[in-house]
Amino acid sequence: MAPILQLKGITKQFPGVLANDHIDLTLNQGEILALLGENGAGKTTLMNILYGLYQPDEGEILVNGEKITIHSPTDAINAGIGMVHQHFMLIPVFTVTENVMLGSEPVKAGDFLDRPKTAAKIMEISSQYKLEVDPNDYVKDLPVGVQQRVEIIKLLYREANILIFDEPTAVLTPQEADDLFVIMRSLVKQGKSIIFITHKLREVLDVADRIMVIRRGAVVGEADPKQANRNKLAEMMVGREVNLVVEKDIKKPGDVILSIKDLVVTDQFKQVMVDKVSFEVHAGQILGIAGVQGNGQTELVEAITGLRKSVSGEIKFKGQSILNEPPRKITELGSAHVPEDRQADGLVLPFPVAENLVLCTYYKEPFSRGVVLQYEKILENSEKLVQDFDIRTPSSLTTVGSLSGGNQQKVIIARELSRPIELLVASQPTRGLDVGSIEYIHKRIVQKRDEGCAVLLVSPELDEVIELSDRIAVMYRGKIIALLEAEEVAKETLGLLMAGIVPDKIEKPQGQRVVETTF
Amino acid sequence: MGKKDLEKQDIGKTILEELTGGEPKEKRQKRGIWKILQIPALAILTGLIIGAVLIMATSFDVYDAFKVSLWKGLGTAFAEVGEAYLALITGSLGNPVEIVQALLYGDALDFRNAINPILESLVQSTPYIFAGLACALGFRAGLFNIGVEGQLFIGAAAATFVGYSLTGLPPYIHMPLAFLAGALGGALWGMVPGLLKATTGGHEVINCIMMNYIAYRFTTFLLTGPMSRPGTGGMPVSPIIEKSAQIPQFFKTPIRFHLGFFIALAFAALVWWVLFKTTLGLNLRTVGTNPRAAKYAGMNIIATTIIGMAASGALAGMAGANEVLAVNRSMAIGLSAGYGFDSIALALLGNSHPVGVIFAALLFGVLKNGATKMMVVSTIPIDIVTILQAVILIFVAAPAIIRSVYRLKQPKVEAAAIMLSGWGGVK
Amino acid sequence: MSKKVMLVMSVLLIAVFVLSACAKTAGPAKFKACEVTDTGGVDDKSFNATAWKGAVDAKEKLDIEAKYLESKEIADFEKNINAFIAEKCDIIITVGFLLCDATKAAAEANPNQKFSIVDFAYDPVIPNVLAQAFQTDEAAFLAGYAAAGFTKTGKVGTFGGMQIPTVTIFMDGFARGVRHYNEVHGTSVETLGWDADAQTGLFTNDFSDQQKGSDMAVSLMDEGADIIMPVAGPVGLGAAAAVKARGNALIIGVDSDWFLTAPDYTDIIFTSVMKLMDVTTLDAIKAAKDGTFKGGSIVGTLANGGVGIAPFHNFDGQVSAELKAELEGIKAGILSGEIQMNPAFKQ
Repeated sequence: MAPILQLKGITKQFPGVLANDHIDLTLNQGEILALLGENGAGKTTLMNILYGLYQPDEGEILVNGEKITIHSPTDAINAGIGMVHQHFMLIPVFTVTENVMLGSEPVKAGDFLDRPKTAAKIMEISSQYKLEVDPNDYVKDLPVGVQQRVEIIKLLYREANILIFDEPTAVLTPQEADDLFVIMRSLVKQGKSIIFITHKLREVLDVADRIMVIRRGAVVGEADPKQANRNKLAEMMVGREVNLVVEKDIKKPGDVILSIKDLVVTDQFKQVMVDKVSFEVHAGQILGIAGVQGNGQTELVEAITGLRKSVSGEIKFKGQSILNEPPRKITELGSAHVPEDRQADGLVLPFPVAENLVLCTYYKEPFSRGVVLQYEKILENSEKLVQDFDIRTPSSLTTVGSLSGGNQQKVIIARELSRPIELLVASQPTRGLDVGSIEYIHKRIVQKRDEGCAVLLVSPELDEVIELSDRIAVMYRGKIIALLEAEEVAKETLGLLMAGIVPDKIEKPQGQRVVETTF
Repeated sequence: MGKKDLEKQDIGKTILEELTGGEPKEKRQKRGIWKILQIPALAILTGLIIGAVLIMATSFDVYDAFKVSLWKGLGTAFAEVGEAYLALITGSLGNPVEIVQALLYGDALDFRNAINPILESLVQSTPYIFAGLACALGFRAGLFNIGVEGQLFIGAAAATFVGYSLTGLPPYIHMPLAFLAGALGGALWGMVPGLLKATTGGHEVINCIMMNYIAYRFTTFLLTGPMSRPGTGGMPVSPIIEKSAQIPQFFKTPIRFHLGFFIALAFAALVWWVLFKTTLGLNLRTVGTNPRAAKYAGMNIIATTIIGMAASGALAGMAGANEVLAVNRSMAIGLSAGYGFDSIALALLGNSHPVGVIFAALLFGVLKNGATKMMVVSTIPIDIVTILQAVILIFVAAPAIIRSVYRLKQPKVEAAAIMLSGWGGVK
Repeated sequence: MSKKVMLVMSVLLIAVFVLSACAKTAGPAKFKACEVTDTGGVDDKSFNATAWKGAVDAKEKLDIEAKYLESKEIADFEKNINAFIAEKCDIIITVGFLLCDATKAAAEANPNQKFSIVDFAYDPVIPNVLAQAFQTDEAAFLAGYAAAGFTKTGKVGTFGGMQIPTVTIFMDGFARGVRHYNEVHGTSVETLGWDADAQTGLFTNDFSDQQKGSDMAVSLMDEGADIIMPVAGPVGLGAAAAVKARGNALIIGVDSDWFLTAPDYTDIIFTSVMKLMDVTTLDAIKAAKDGTFKGGSIVGTLANGGVGIAPFHNFDGQVSAELKAELEGIKAGILSGEIQMNPAFKQ
């Protein structure tokens, strides 16, 4: 029997980039094939070709041994290929039923929508594949994980046999991700076939039947998850040896750089988000703030960096109060900020790399003289930082918006860390990035700490916090409920603290602490 | 890209980059000028074709001819269109035969008359350049300045007042002074919505429209009251502007070509330089493109918004000042039939880039000027040109239509429409 | 693709220029009368339209060619005049006081070109410009008198498009006609919307938005006026619509006989104050064609028929014979100079 899907010699050339270079891929019925690769490796391009959004320059697509051409997503759906996008294609104010039927609405007498019929079919699909969902719920009321199920139901409703999951766990909590994996297994058990696109090694090892690694547009190897080893896979992905554990020495902290006392910050609805928080960050120390997102970390960071007004309390930077000072003043005192939402806050996407690299310093010598920008200097600076920070961009004049997420983050890191700073506030610095970029950014942050910079690291990724921090503060409902030496705390304890449960006595980890980053 | 390349970069290339959105070099060279111009050029072509159909469909002669025979009808239809477009072109760009004849046999006067249509088109384009720049600058700063019309009226009134009320000044002081008074008037008028937006969050579109109403009524009051020409019993015409304040015309009547055109070009260059070469420009563009990032970068959003609206208003005021100082020599009601609103279209057509605005303004000026001749020769109403402009704009604003009609390839990265950012709710 | 389009475009361009080279002016040249409108446009139902009617009449009666150019804004005046000079028009008619500067400048620069300006008089006269002015208050005086004699509520109203002499002359004559009626009959009919002594009144400040005319008429009717004279071009039609909807008031038309030009409202048109610009325009064209053209000004008066009051049409039977006789008497008084108009509006 022919494999359900075969790609032969798919090649796609974009101006200046060979996105796919003679890629061969075989998907057998009832298996989960993981497509592993860094951001920008060409995974998404390949899947967009399969989904009819791009036309390949060369190569052919075979479904069940028959050659087909796919010009549009409609063709793809007709061929039984469906895609769960990273960003859901759902209409929030519609119900689950309405969203599912959208595009192929069944009608009954007199051209009325036949909702009950669709709802019944949804229930049937839902019970068959263990996709729990109520057809009458509004999508906007559903948690992200359930919304994703609706996306999957949409495909099954259209009788897709080949399901493509594009980075499905990027938006999920760890628990939701585990649920998804159960669903995926149940799908293949009942005869569906899945291509699973990801750059997270652990997920691949957990769920895939077969692993295919893509690097720079070409297939670099296959692996069996039962035998593969994480370091080996990471190496294949990145193309060199990857050190998954950050090496850092124990360092004696220096003077207090940032001190916060009884700080109260509210959100735009006047709700208290940061509730009498106090802590200190010393020179040469990384203070990690752990906590589930939405517990006041965002507001705390914004208050420190001047982007949000505080209600009361004090914030002192090098002994000087910066409470409610404008962002530029705080920046000029020697602080740097890697913002949580890099595209919304940290970058101007339609601007070239060079301009983004001077976004906080453009008005100073040597980048401007008087009011006149010195583009020669700005470009020189850009060339240098692109080199130093390994930003992969065709040129300094390329718009930042056309770079991959990792490279966008590197632009911010380059801009912020290339200045002489004494405080670094890094908020979720590796969100959504691939292995290579995460490794690189972690290294840079530790390097800054070693140079004597005080670092405030905020991340919902517990592993990241544990691995990088010298001290860890756990934030829960606007309060810091524990402040611990990183060396003295076990991961499980932190997990409980993040959920708001304070153990009777904080347990010490047994033996030597070994923490690996979970990518 | 090494240092050597940097040195070689000339202005033309930089402009090309800005128009194409700073794409990588390899891409840019492939696109070339044609890629930038294809949509506007095809939009104009399509507009002319649709205009031709309208001319045919609205002519009684054509209907009468069709009653005689099909061929006669078709012949008449094409003759009508030919005559109309011929007039449109000779009326706006001159008759090449006349120009050649004047060059060969005629004297200087003949030559001037032969090229007058081109010069007149430039005269018509001048207010469009100023107004288009006003709007384009606003768009770049994320501001939808729909108040150009009102700012233009106020600018014209201010320039007129300085122009006739001060006497005895030498031209090199009086003329710039009157012109700057116009700019200042427009700037003040534009600043009000800017202030309201920056301090209270009031949307500039609403406030600009309201300021337009105030400007119309206020100038009408001025013209029928304090600024009315003495001895006319309250006619809404201002006194004639002093010779010393007039922007000089280069030739004798009827050629109206004047210095204002070059002032407009100079300001286009200035706007380009400010936007793309100065810290203020980077402020404006950042606030316009991503206000959150601007705040993050420590830019003063309030000041930038106010400056952006004031600068936009100043340019709009200059459009009004130019009209009264160079062309009308006095102000009266009916100063502008919508330069301010056309300016939005101009900015869109020119991709909010000063160079693009100049070309768009030239197009509008040529069409407007040619329309007069078209009407004189073939009695086709001037309004057909308004329809032509509208059709061209629709096609430029909705390039997908043009692409599907002419089977052009969809570009990979659609250039982000700058103008839309002005409507962005969250600021 | 791009090459093909370029090719097509260049072929088109070349074709056009070849055509333009071959283009000839066809036929024997007729006498050309050319009108430049002001910003109201040629169908403004006011002076631009009336003057154009004069040109069209001339076209039919005198076998000439008539053309017009609409001005969208004041900068177009000079451009349009120049276009007609280049077109070698025999006479150029400019409409409205707004064109006074442009007409004067063009006339002085082209002393052999004949001009006629509607609704404006130059002092001193320009030798190649025939100015057409109108003593409209004489006719409006009659209308005011008639309205005062016909009102049931004792209140009549008027409003203008803008406070400018060519508009207020109507309102002034109207108000003084009402006052004269009061003096003769000892009544106290009130004129709403214009105070002849203070020279203040109601204005829409707009010559195009009919809704404003409607609003004005409604307020005047609310104040009790039952005869309204709107002096605001097409805005007046909005007033007529409002009056017709209310059903208990009448309208006095201006410029032309609205009974004829606004057939929708014949049942509420009491009379009209006619300013016969078509007649004077036709005369000017005729003079230019006959070679009797002379610069200066012609003033339309009751005496020469340049202004007048329209018949009462539907209301003829309701207007008393006495009132008609009185109107004849007043007309005679104006002609003889016995009744004086407001010197402020002396043309």
